Amino acid sequence: MTVGRESNPGPEFDAGAENPPLDPAEREELITSNLGLAHQLARRFLHRGEPLDDLVQVASVALVKSVDRFDPGRGVDFAAFATRTIIGELKRHFRDKGWAVRASRRVQELYLELGHATATLVQQLGRAPTVAELAEATGASEEAVIEAIEAGQGYRAASIDANESEDDPLSARLGEYDNNYDSVEDRVLLGPALATLPPREQSILRMRFVDGLTQSEIAVAVGVSQMHVSRLLSSSLQKLREGIGRNETERSS
Amino acid sequence: MTNSMEKLAAGDRIELRFPARGDLIVLARLVTSAISARAGFDIEELEDLRLAVGELCLLTLQGHDARYGDLCLQLNVLGDAIAVECTLERAAPADGTRPDEDESARLSEQILDALVDEHGRESQDGSVRAWLSKRRGGHAE
Repeated sequence: MTVGRESNPGPEFDAGAENPPLDPAEREELITSNLGLAHQLARRFLHRGEPLDDLVQVASVALVKSVDRFDPGRGVDFAAFATRTIIGELKRHFRDKGWAVRASRRVQELYLELGHATATLVQQLGRAPTVAELAEATGASEEAVIEAIEAGQGYRAASIDANESEDDPLSARLGEYDNNYDSVEDRVLLGPALATLPPREQSILRMRFVDGLTQSEIAVAVGVSQMHVSRLLSSSLQKLREGIGRNETERSS
Repeated sequence: MTNSMEKLAAGDRIELRFPARGDLIVLARLVTSAISARAGFDIEELEDLRLAVGELCLLTLQGHDARYGDLCLQLNVLGDAIAVECTLERAAPADGTRPDEDESARLSEQILDALVDEHGRESQDGSVRAWLSKRRGGHAE
C-alpha cells in the first residue's frame, strides 16, 4: 500500500483583511463542527507542561480566527486551513509564554531572550530569523540556541512578566481563586522526593497526574503493558511517600 | 561572539536508529532540529519540521506493537529542501487495532498536510515507511 500526497500550501496564517462575515448560523455551525479538531490538535501539544484546558482554549480561539479569515474562494479545504492556523497559534503560545523549568537558569534566560530577539528580527527582516541570526543577536552559540529552543518545548513556569497575548491576558485570570495555592506546600515537600525517582517514573507520574492520561494511554506512550504502568505508579507513589516522610523529618529537626 | 556550526550541504545524509518506542520519538525531534538548523532552515520552518517528524514517527508506528522493532530515521539534505524518511523495521503487527488509531492517523496526515510540502506512507512485507519533504524558503543565504 502506498499513500502519497502533495500538501496544499494553503494561504498565509495572518494574510490581510478578514472576509465578508458568514451568516451567523453558518459561522456557528463551522465552529461547532470543528471544535473536535481544535481539541485533538491541542492534545498533540500535551507533555510540555501546559494544562490541556489552556491548550484547548488557545486552539479554540485560533479556530474562531480561522473561521473569520477563511476565504472559500481560494479553493482550500477549511480543515487544512484551520489546522495550519491552530498549529501556528499553539506554537506561538509556547514561544511567547513557555520556558523549561528543568533547564538551567542560563538556558531559561536564553529562551526568553530568543523570544524577544525573534520578535525584533521578524520586524527587521520581514521573515523568521535563522538559528545563526538568533545566535548573532543574543551573543550565544548556535548550539546554545538550539538547546534553548529544545528546552523551551518542555515544562514552563508562569511568570507575572511573561508576554501575554490579547486573547488570554494574565489579568483575566487574576482575582480568581487559584486551586494551585493548596498544593504549593505539597510541591515544596514533593520536589526533592520526586527528583530521586528515575526519569521514566517521573515521566509516568507526570503523564498520569499532570497531563491526566489514563494508564492505558501511558502504556501506549511508554511502550509497556497497562499492568506494568499500574505497578510503576504504585511503587513510585510509595517511594514519594517515603521521601516526603524523610524531608519532613529533616525540616523539623 | 558566536560559534558558528558547520553547515550541511546538498547530499549530506544523517541516520538515526532507535527502539520503536513512543517516548523515544523525542530523539527524532532533537536530531531534526539540529539538522534543519545546519541546513539553513529558519526557526519557523525548524519548528514545523520538528512537529512533522514527530507525526511521521507516530504514523510509522500505527498498527504495530511498539515493544518490538526499530525506528530508522534518515534525513537527506537536498539543495533547498530536506527529505525525511522514517522506517519501522523488525516490527510485529499489533494484536488488535486501537479504536482511535484511524482517527489519530488521519490527524497526523492532516498535520503533515499543514506543515510540509509532500508526504506519504507505504507498507510492504511487514515494514512500514513514511516520508516527507519540506522546502526552505523566505530568506537569503
